[in-house]
Amino acid sequence: MTLAEQIQEIAAGYPQSRSAVLPALRLAQEQYGWLSPEALREVADALDLTPAYCQAVASFYDMFHMKPVGRHLVEVCTNISCALVGAQQVLEAFESELGVRTGETTEDGDVTLRALECAGGCGWGTVVAIDHRYREPVRPEDVPTIVSELRDD
Amino acid sequence: MTELALVLAGADERDLTRLSEYRAVGGYRALEKARGMDPEAVIEELLTSNLRGRGGAFFPMGRKASFIPKPDDVPKPRYVVVNADESEPGTFKDRELMFRVPHRLIEGCLITAHAIRSQNVFIYIRGEYLAEFEVVRAALDEARDEGLFAGVTVVLHRGAGAYICGEESALLESLEGKRGQPRSRPPYPAVSGLYAAPTLINNVETVATVPKVIELGGAEYAKIGAPPNSTGTRLFSLSGNVVRGGNYELELGTSLNDLIFEIGGGIPNGRKLKAVIPGGSSVPVLTADEVDTPLEHDAMTERGSMLGSGAVIVIDDRCCMVQLGLRVAQFYMHESCGKCTPCREGTRWMVQLLHKIEDGRAEHEELDLLLSVCDRILGKCLCPLGDAAAMPIASYVSKFRDEFRAHIDEGSCPFGGESSLEGVLAPVDQHTHAPVAEVPA
Amino acid sequence: MSAPELVTVTIDGREVQVPKGTGLVETALAAGIEIPVFCYEPRLGPAIGACRMCLVEVEGMPKVQAACVLSAQDGMVVSTAQSSSEAAEAQNATLEFILVNHPLDCPVCDKGGECPLQDLTFRWGPGATRMEFPKRTFEKPIPISPTIALDRERCILCYRCTRFSEGVSEDGQLIAENRGAASVIATFQDEPYKAPFSGNIIELCPVGALTSTQYRFEARPWEIQNVPTVCGMCPVGCNVHATTREGKVKRILSRNHPEVDQGWLCDKGRFAYAHVRARDRIADPLKRVGQRRYEEISWEEALDEAERMLRSAGGRIVTALSGSETVESAYALAKLLRRGLGAHSAVLPEEVDPALDAFRAPLSAIGEAEIVVVLGGDPVVERAPIVDLWIRAARRNGAQVLTSTDDERVRSSDRVALIWSGPGGEALPALAADLGIADKPGSAAFHLPETANGRGVADAWAAAGDVDPEDPEPIGLLIVSGDEAVANPAVRAMAEGAEAVLAISMFRTPLIGWVDLVLPGTSYLERDGTYVNLEGRLQRLRRAVIPPGPDELAWLAKLAERFDVELSPYPSQVFAEISAIAYGGLDYGLVGEHAPLPPPADLGKVQKPKRVRAASGKGLRLIAYRPLFSGPAVERVPELHFQRPGAEVELSPDDARRLGVANGQLVHVKSNGTSVELRARVTRDLAAGAVRVPGPYASDLGTHVEVSP
Repeated sequence: MTLAEQIQEIAAGYPQSRSAVLPALRLAQEQYGWLSPEALREVADALDLTPAYCQAVASFYDMFHMKPVGRHLVEVCTNISCALVGAQQVLEAFESELGVRTGETTEDGDVTLRALECAGGCGWGTVVAIDHRYREPVRPEDVPTIVSELRDD
Repeated sequence: MTELALVLAGADERDLTRLSEYRAVGGYRALEKARGMDPEAVIEELLTSNLRGRGGAFFPMGRKASFIPKPDDVPKPRYVVVNADESEPGTFKDRELMFRVPHRLIEGCLITAHAIRSQNVFIYIRGEYLAEFEVVRAALDEARDEGLFAGVTVVLHRGAGAYICGEESALLESLEGKRGQPRSRPPYPAVSGLYAAPTLINNVETVATVPKVIELGGAEYAKIGAPPNSTGTRLFSLSGNVVRGGNYELELGTSLNDLIFEIGGGIPNGRKLKAVIPGGSSVPVLTADEVDTPLEHDAMTERGSMLGSGAVIVIDDRCCMVQLGLRVAQFYMHESCGKCTPCREGTRWMVQLLHKIEDGRAEHEELDLLLSVCDRILGKCLCPLGDAAAMPIASYVSKFRDEFRAHIDEGSCPFGGESSLEGVLAPVDQHTHAPVAEVPA
Repeated sequence: MSAPELVTVTIDGREVQVPKGTGLVETALAAGIEIPVFCYEPRLGPAIGACRMCLVEVEGMPKVQAACVLSAQDGMVVSTAQSSSEAAEAQNATLEFILVNHPLDCPVCDKGGECPLQDLTFRWGPGATRMEFPKRTFEKPIPISPTIALDRERCILCYRCTRFSEGVSEDGQLIAENRGAASVIATFQDEPYKAPFSGNIIELCPVGALTSTQYRFEARPWEIQNVPTVCGMCPVGCNVHATTREGKVKRILSRNHPEVDQGWLCDKGRFAYAHVRARDRIADPLKRVGQRRYEEISWEEALDEAERMLRSAGGRIVTALSGSETVESAYALAKLLRRGLGAHSAVLPEEVDPALDAFRAPLSAIGEAEIVVVLGGDPVVERAPIVDLWIRAARRNGAQVLTSTDDERVRSSDRVALIWSGPGGEALPALAADLGIADKPGSAAFHLPETANGRGVADAWAAAGDVDPEDPEPIGLLIVSGDEAVANPAVRAMAEGAEAVLAISMFRTPLIGWVDLVLPGTSYLERDGTYVNLEGRLQRLRRAVIPPGPDELAWLAKLAERFDVELSPYPSQVFAEISAIAYGGLDYGLVGEHAPLPPPADLGKVQKPKRVRAASGKGLRLIAYRPLFSGPAVERVPELHFQRPGAEVELSPDDARRLGVANGQLVHVKSNGTSVELRARVTRDLAAGAVRVPGPYASDLGTHVEVSP
């Protein structure tokens, strides 16, 4: 099925097709790697919306990437509970191991490192999401292993 | 007052993600019972139980359900929406609930649908909860294949990363495919909710409690916990500087002190308790002297705080309260939807002021200015997020005033770089590694 | 109709009675109390309560409330900032928060002096700032189109502009991007905001964030005059203010006629005024002295030459009118020619059937209709833009918008609006009569003419004489009145066979080589007179600026003298003459600032039009339409050229699916030997079986075309 067909199938499951814009953007992002102008246009056409509308919606949400990102996403929660148990040290360990600053992507385009607001694993901090799969608890000393596993992928 | 498994009943002994296992502990019998009752009678049980919203608003579910008009009065579809957008800092109970007892949630959805004569249920699940989404989806497929839906459709809809979408009207906007900005109320969702139709929207845990309420009966449920205002059990998420962080289902009225020290194992590494955030980052902080409080509505209100989302964050004496205030303010600045002026501008201003105080560059007047900004946000915003930012910050200042003063008098953070929150990078500051709120000169 | 239920509300101690459900802001106004607002604008849809400017205390409600989202209930007790310190503090807080990052741009901001933020800050805001951090900055201003500049630093995120784009003009191009304090107003990928109504956001914006690039640094509000007049660019006749400074038009603003334009303008009417000062504007009469050489002559000489041309034509005179003449100048010309010279032959811009007066209704009736039928094929927005906005409003109110009368709801509904947009409008009166439109109050039939005053010009020509014209062969003198007639290829073709050609025109370039005598024409901005719009509403133009040459009536009066025809140079007197014949004796001075619409006329016998055989052909019927952004005025305003349609072909969703064509795909459009490559645009406003192409791209194509990927 083409992306448009997939989107239209999802849209049929809602009383109003516009509700499908979030799942549609997610699908398009999975296909294009990020929400490029082309991706936004495709979603717009599939749902009879304007590309501008899709840009407005997508840019509101943290999980949608309006710029290119790495093949892998490493997200470290630095909200209260995780911060209290050393999230900053975990984050810095990732920065050091990956050779990037938080918010940036490694030069080979492999990994983007981000800080997250509360990921929902507070009692098991520090929480790290690797491509949206949670690892918890993570200590700074766990980071090299995590990174090498990621690189092997 | 103790641990009591109702919502999580049976989950320790069996894998309740499987339909057959769930049935083995009595699952879906409450649904059968409810479907044999008049919808009004189901609502009556909810009213009697005084089951109140477990997301943070603590509004009686039965009363909410009674606001839904009858089909004859309003010939529109009625919708059940489950708020599974758990994002309140410190809270991770809905995550565990969905991961371990998805069928209990589904059963609760179907009973609720029957109670308000709805044929459509939407579960709005936080986008980041990928594993939980997969578990719930599989459970829905199982239940659907078993013919349990009886004509009701259940749509599992993933969010995409926005705390504000946990606010009920913003959730509905997001579900309708828009930017998740809250609506002005009235009209309330019961009158005009999803697609402008009557909608009952509740937190995951609230809905997952419904089967037990029906099974026990409202009156029995109401005896548990701390009646009349705080009946039943709820999940408390314990985290921070505590030995055994985790989710604990406790009777309402359990002492906060017991949760932290008995159940939670107290403070590790020989540190002392300094402060507790008792209900998620949106509620005023309690000092160490104030933890001898029952975790129930009236006692918490008397303490000047709230039950909130049930998230108890334990803070030890390594933590600088100014840095905590800053980190919390950064959270709200990042998550503000931007629709209303006081929240959009006020949260950023608070971050700027707290940076200045933490850096030791502030004057005493700026502490008063910070409190004035909090006061000017309070009660004036379109939705509760503004208050959720202003109230806690104001409470840190008022309860730890000396610490804030010391930053100003000493011209630096008294922790000298040793605070547990030292240098924590907030998402608003990434990409620049410099505070976004301040433009370099 | 029963009287609305009244409720009593007490505001700041004052009791006021209003219909139940009236918004609280209007209720306060009724009591003489101003509640300040930013985001509240009823024309944009339900109030959103975003800006928090209108906070008031309401007895029985816990916190301060946004007045804009509340409506009057019986017994409500409200305290505004004028009587409640809590409300005053709240409004002060809102302004403080808005100003915290608002740049101190007043000295260089066009909005200064007519700025609601300035005004409200003076009235309700803090006198000094407590914000000492550097304000957040943006690159500024950003041109979001050649006509509109965006200054994100000034923006207070009231969302009026985005709500207009999404919910009124429905172009969906202007959006809010990001979240929270990082929110900005933007377009898709910073592409220009290309939409026919974009300019309205300039008037909606309560600060200087969205400003007109044409008006940038041109004037301060205390130096200008606003002349109330009517736009002459299309047959809607939107009510406008022409802002002038030192004798020049600096901008056009809406004057809001609730029945006609509801306060909106299209970008052509708003931004094309600079044509008045185009480089090739003719100031003096021109006489052809060589193949392509012209000499400026005096008015005396010009009138002599005109007289000579008129006399030597021997009665074989044809007049081609533009439809942009005022009623008065058309009548004056007609009287001179018909009474003075027996020259009855005219090429009128179009036929406007007076039988339509039986279905007369304000345009606002479309907004209230239950069923709207759009016939004729031409896009409504290209012919009479504001009508498109009314149709959209109707749809939002729940109306069904159809493209054919075959639906049985067209007959059964009590509130039907028929709109004919395109050629073949002669069929409309009979159709409307057949559907019983005249018997249903709230129903209407509108023909959308091509010209601003086609109806008035036809009235004027008819009023000056009732002799049936004979088309002379060959033409002794062709009089071409107005620039649209000059640009008309059919008129140009007539000129080839004419012995002499006299033109009344504003612009020189198109005349070169085929016009023998040119008399300088005037723009609607330079005239006092009247226009009749497509509703049949007579509206008053007021001279905003003085034209480079004399007004038409002035020299027509002089010319008429030479033929013993009495003509006054004053529009009021000329109007009196024609008013007695065509407008029931209405006095010129009583036409009014917001002219009323006369009630419908009696339905007489309606002629069934001759059955016009639709041209048959293989393939899809081609509708080639004249774009809104075309014509002599737009050609001379370079900032508007980006609004011209691209090389596109519109298809219905059914046809697109059938042909396997996707939105945005390049396709071949072929007809007998010619093929054009155009970009496909799928639109649900088009019924299957037809495609639409902007005129300039369709010139070689026939009546039917084939489309292929």
